[in-house]
Amino acid sequence: MSGTATSERESARTASVTRLRLSAGPLLRPVLCRVVSMVLTRADWPLDRLDEALLVCDALCAPGARDSGGAGSADGSDHIGRKRLTFSIQADEHEAALRVWELTPESAERLVREAHLPLVGNVLEHVAERIAVESDPADAYTRLTLALSAR
Amino acid sequence: MTPDMELALPARAENIAIVRHALGGFADAFAVPESKLADIRLAVTEACANVVVHAYPDDEEGTMEVLASMQDGEMTVRVRDWGRGIRPRPDSPGLGLGLSLIAALAETVQLGHDDAEHTEVRMTFSLHEEPPSMNGHGP
Repeated sequence: MSGTATSERESARTASVTRLRLSAGPLLRPVLCRVVSMVLTRADWPLDRLDEALLVCDALCAPGARDSGGAGSADGSDHIGRKRLTFSIQADEHEAALRVWELTPESAERLVREAHLPLVGNVLEHVAERIAVESDPADAYTRLTLALSAR
Repeated sequence: MTPDMELALPARAENIAIVRHALGGFADAFAVPESKLADIRLAVTEACANVVVHAYPDDEEGTMEVLASMQDGEMTVRVRDWGRGIRPRPDSPGLGLGLSLIAALAETVQLGHDDAEHTEVRMTFSLHEEPPSMNGHGP
């Protein structure tokens, strides 16, 4: 991948991580949901937990998909300021880590904040075991990590 | 051209299914006809299978990368690896039909390397409707 290519490629080489970079917009949801569902299915996740993980994907994709429909900025970026979003998913039969990369601290917090549904509350906080907004000192970006459990 | 989708994952046979599903999502977003999607999936599956079988030595785990973009009714898919490149392999376990199949299914196929030392199979697929047959109506 371009951008933070070398370090990402190295980490993908040494761990069973699937990385996905997508243009913000209608491509986000169908591709991310399919990739995450395949990774979790292969890790033998139960159907109800798989379903919840897809709710998380929906929540992460909603801002980009919604704003590309005409309300996005002139440069094609979505409302969290990204033209493209980078995800990674790593799973075993017990747990999974879904990460959104190359965010700013503000966009990471906004992604979490806007996952709020009426009557339901915040989908990410309901489903994820742990939510972390992390900055790598070696990287200018922030990443959002969602730890999901198969139990 | 910046790809609309970049997918990087370990070059293992079971991961080809993830690539096929990702292409399904891509096709959903761009309303790619089902018949064309079947061709694209088959060609990309062959290219990925080449990476899994040939790109890396048996004791080395490498990365397989699939990049897809759509422009002017044409879908371009690139399958990359950082392995030993495309070269004759007398001990190949396959029938050697992969690249021929890709060439039959795609409008264009290019094989190559670049400065990043990756091997790349670049395929383009036209999504324009083919004109109706003129059988029996020609000059």
